[in-house]
Amino acid sequence: MKRAERVAVYGKGREYWRRLGIDIVKNKWLYIMLVPGVLYFLVFKYLPMWGVIIAFEDYSPFSGPLNSAWKGLYWFQRFFATKKWVDYLSNTLILSVMSIVFTFPAPIILALMLNEIRNIHFKKISQTLLYVPHFISIVIVVSITYVIFGADGIIYKWTTAILGRSIDYLGDPGVFRWMIVGQNIWKETGWGTIIFLAALTNVDTQLYEAAMIDGANRGQRLWHITLPAIRSTVVLMLVLRMGSVLDTGYEHLILMSNALNRSVSQTLDVFVYQNGIVNGQYSYTTAVGLMKSLVSVIMVISANKVAHALGEEGLY
Amino acid sequence: MKKFVSLLLSLAMLISLVSFASGEAKEEMTLKVMLPDFYSDSDWVTLEEGNPVLQAIYEATGVKLDITWVPNSGYTEMTSLTLADKKNLPEVMVMQGPLDSITVSSARNGAFWDLTDLIPQYEYLAQGQQSTYDNTAIDGRIYGIYRARAYARAGIYYRNDYAAQAGIEKVPTNVEEFKALCFALASLDNMYAINMCKYVAGTIGITTVMFGAPYVYGVDENGKLYPAFESPYFQEGLDFLRELYSAGGIDPNFMTIESGNWDDAERANPPKALMRLDCLDNGFRYQEWLEQNMGADAENPIVTLLTALPNSEGNIQIWPQNTGASGEVVITTAVSEEKLPKVLKFLDWCNSAEGQTLLNCGLEGVTYWIHSDGYRYTYPEGEKDNTSYATYTNTVQHSLNQLGMNVNGDLTPETAQTILRSWYNNNLVENAKYVISNPCLTLYSETNVLMGSNLNTELEDAEVQYIAGKIDLNGLKAAYQDWYDAGGELMLQEYQEAYDATK
Repeated sequence: MKRAERVAVYGKGREYWRRLGIDIVKNKWLYIMLVPGVLYFLVFKYLPMWGVIIAFEDYSPFSGPLNSAWKGLYWFQRFFATKKWVDYLSNTLILSVMSIVFTFPAPIILALMLNEIRNIHFKKISQTLLYVPHFISIVIVVSITYVIFGADGIIYKWTTAILGRSIDYLGDPGVFRWMIVGQNIWKETGWGTIIFLAALTNVDTQLYEAAMIDGANRGQRLWHITLPAIRSTVVLMLVLRMGSVLDTGYEHLILMSNALNRSVSQTLDVFVYQNGIVNGQYSYTTAVGLMKSLVSVIMVISANKVAHALGEEGLY
Repeated sequence: MKKFVSLLLSLAMLISLVSFASGEAKEEMTLKVMLPDFYSDSDWVTLEEGNPVLQAIYEATGVKLDITWVPNSGYTEMTSLTLADKKNLPEVMVMQGPLDSITVSSARNGAFWDLTDLIPQYEYLAQGQQSTYDNTAIDGRIYGIYRARAYARAGIYYRNDYAAQAGIEKVPTNVEEFKALCFALASLDNMYAINMCKYVAGTIGITTVMFGAPYVYGVDENGKLYPAFESPYFQEGLDFLRELYSAGGIDPNFMTIESGNWDDAERANPPKALMRLDCLDNGFRYQEWLEQNMGADAENPIVTLLTALPNSEGNIQIWPQNTGASGEVVITTAVSEEKLPKVLKFLDWCNSAEGQTLLNCGLEGVTYWIHSDGYRYTYPEGEKDNTSYATYTNTVQHSLNQLGMNVNGDLTPETAQTILRSWYNNNLVENAKYVISNPCLTLYSETNVLMGSNLNTELEDAEVQYIAGKIDLNGLKAAYQDWYDAGGELMLQEYQEAYDATK
């Protein structure tokens, strides 16, 4: 809604508040029902946000956030002074871009494939089987990876036999990101199809019938009917994904990282974990985390703008 | 009559006094303790559930131990998380690194009681080594009671049966022969020479120090500090490991092996790795394990312990597995001022013969047995060692020994001296003079507190990459330069100032 339209409907300044007051009185039960939800967000989401104040202090749990010494932007300056921050940020961004390019389309493709299955029983069984990896903890996934990709592992031996040279799957920095992306695809693709399959059920089957009568083949039907139908879902999911684009999931990376591949596995999340949790530098890492959140907010807003430009609804 | 009454009265007073006094000694108190756990896969029986060892501690001191076990592998993380929550602190906890940034910042923020002036007031605690206490001091104050460990524990142990198979019967007497032995072991099919895991500090440290490098920092003839990696001996040690790695003497996947699984390679049948550079107690424990599980002969050990080898110039140096201590026991400020003397009294008692025995061995006839030869065993006389005893012991004993400080020496009942154990004990004393130390250990550097562990990880990563052939000498040199640029330079400068100030 444009601002002019908003003003026309809700009024402006005092008028706005007057109309809101009338509205509240008129629909008081609706507003009362809203109260718990608003309270929830205030208490559990907005109130704890004041905790970020420790990013500007030399926080000590024994003095508390109110009594710790004020440091201003010291921690931010320190982080940028380490020079390593470029590595951390680029590791984070490269992994994120790779996950958007490779992990994000995977469930869409899989959903389209499932959608083409005509045997309903086979479809149900394969769907269920595809959901299973989602429920396997990442620790187990990494352990399985170690077993089959390690020096005694079956895949390691196969590739060594086929290529004539061994690939160090677990140590080579060049392979690391592909392993992470591969594990994510293996684990989450099946689960990710759910939302796209739901979108696909909304496609009017009459469209397909009409297209068939007009002589459209499978590929044409997919391109001209199915994809446009789920387009808005895809865009919405992409915008949502942009918000967490910098969340690389530290436990997964820590489990997969070692001295040989640390140059590419050190992301912002891993840095925050190691310095904040392990070394107890709460203020420093809160500052780094805060910075990461700022970048995420910027990315969501710009992704949303792009979505609007493409003529989609976007997030808001 | 009057006299009789007064006598009676004074007698009554005396009785009440006596009972009061004994009542004070046994005053009941619950103590919340957080300890690292090495038996986290075994069950734990609490005092309420009838743990006989805790019951015995309670009867002796009136202290009810309420223990939070934290798996050892995650202890550092958990310490940091625990200390971030001021309201739920345990009263007594183990800090594994007395000079780690988390320990230093917590001590400065008032998380621990300052024990500097209190320690001398307690019988056993006062018997500890002042120098070792000083090694744990932060800003000159002592916040913890160190957990005593022998100095010269680090060394090499290897399977001599496989060495003989590889054609080497003679026990190495110098570094050159040691290198020859490693390459001979590496030549055996499907076996690695050195057993390595994610924890590389020990292997690299023991090797480079044995080759002649300083430990972490060295001091040159002008009194200037330099990092150990600047020493040519350090490079020699790394080069040796690199060469051994490329000759197939080290598992190419060692960086993915958790330290908890370090034993797996040597305890496989047949073993996958034949030598380990580590704490030597693991060597005689390995032999004992082989006796119990593989039918090895106790009279002719197939494990050889090795330490104090002269380097190419005939100098002997031993890596300090620890600085005479392994971490410390601290009292947090969750303990009130009134309770503090009682807690200290309990910790003092832990060092008595009774306390040491209960914490380290448990109860006689329940978790340990004294046989007619006068030695302590983990099973009753006339029976064979049997895992069911160990399984039970773990449920009631767990890692209680982690609370043991033993600052006044080991007062527990002696165990039988196997060939390797007596070799070890004899050499421990003999070799203490070869153990080198880090000149910066007790010095303070702000940069070290803030980023020391990151810098150290980066250095260690580069060394591992060099050993594994992922980077060449130039890459290693570049990593050293990065270390200087990222804060090493500053750290060295701060240490130098502190070092000069002690002169």
